Amino acid sequence: MLFYQISILKIHLLGGVRLFKSMFNKDGKFEKFKDAETIIGSSIKVKGNFHGKGDIVIEGMLEGSLKTEANVFIGEKAKVGASVEADEALINGEINGNIKVKKYLAIGKTAKITGDVQCGEISIERGASITGQIIVSAENAKKIEIKKSKEEEEI
Amino acid sequence: MNTYIYDDFLNKGRYRRALNKVEIRLTDLGLNGKIIRLGSIKNVKEVIQAEIKNGVKTIVAVGNNATANKVISAMITNKAYGFFQKDVLFSIIPIGDNNSIAASFGIKKEEEACNILLARRIKQIDIGIAGNNIFLNKAEMVSEQAEVKINEDYILEINKKTPVKIINLNDDAKLSLGQRIDPYDNKLNLIIEKKPGDTTFITGDDFKISGQGNLILDESIEVPLPVEVGLIKEKINIIVGKDRIFI
Repeated sequence: MLFYQISILKIHLLGGVRLFKSMFNKDGKFEKFKDAETIIGSSIKVKGNFHGKGDIVIEGMLEGSLKTEANVFIGEKAKVGASVEADEALINGEINGNIKVKKYLAIGKTAKITGDVQCGEISIERGASITGQIIVSAENAKKIEIKKSKEEEEI
Repeated sequence: MNTYIYDDFLNKGRYRRALNKVEIRLTDLGLNGKIIRLGSIKNVKEVIQAEIKNGVKTIVAVGNNATANKVISAMITNKAYGFFQKDVLFSIIPIGDNNSIAASFGIKKEEEACNILLARRIKQIDIGIAGNNIFLNKAEMVSEQAEVKINEDYILEINKKTPVKIINLNDDAKLSLGQRIDPYDNKLNLIIEKKPGDTTFITGDDFKISGQGNLILDESIEVPLPVEVGLIKEKINIIVGKDRIFI
């Protein structure tokens, strides 16, 4: 049985729900784990503003803010007390903070989110807990795709 | 013209045989040059400066990690080097224990080092700095209480006994994610491997470390905490072998 604690003010489910996209494998693991720009191991605690351009994997604890132009993977045992901004994300751990994902956000069954969620597309697995507002708008994601393809044409 | 810098410890009798082999091989290959013994000089920096001004092409540290560290430190901190940097090469002939720098260059034995000198395969790499000291391979510590501030943005807290490595040039082929360490990328990599599957990997160029304990540079120099670890970009031209650990 689905059990969500969701106080939803506005939900736009314009995008289709896909279970997992190319960056994640069938088990919900981050496929390019070894290629991630930054990996925070399960025994490590980080405080501050964590800003990057590449993929970030968090398996440990993080307090502050997390922002990247690429993908974020939050592991099952991770505890994040931070706002999260990324292009795409897979969340399996605990997050206390707002999440803003430009394109696709996958929330795994072990995820526990307290905060507002904003993304282009979303999938939520049975068992996940979310307390906060969820805004899903594919328009944002589409705009980014169009902009990218225009840039590619120019090149 | 080559200049060979022999470390103090090579005066011991047990290294005589290895040195003889090296000297014969260098003569055979036509690579012999001036020999400077560190034991007999007080100011290494001055001697190396004079060599660079006199037009030396290759400075070769004969000894171990500590020798390489001393020679490079003396090379890069003198004024003449800044001017002639592109023309002066560095290499190592490893003798004795503690030779991980040579191993990362792909130089395992002293005679092999002579052949590598002849082949002159050149790479330009970054150099790490920790306080007033330099390192080529890595700065490492095992601390129970330390903080690492990275690029002034965030702090990594270490509360349990944790091995922390800040690596410029990897010397450990078995290190998880070691293949991603690039001595040309103008970055250092912090790696913490507590157990299999629990790896931390962070890239940066400024690491401020505070807490208890010492930082050990290139397995040879101890620097007490607190210390700031950074990088000098593309600072040295080295002669390497085919079997080096990096690209």
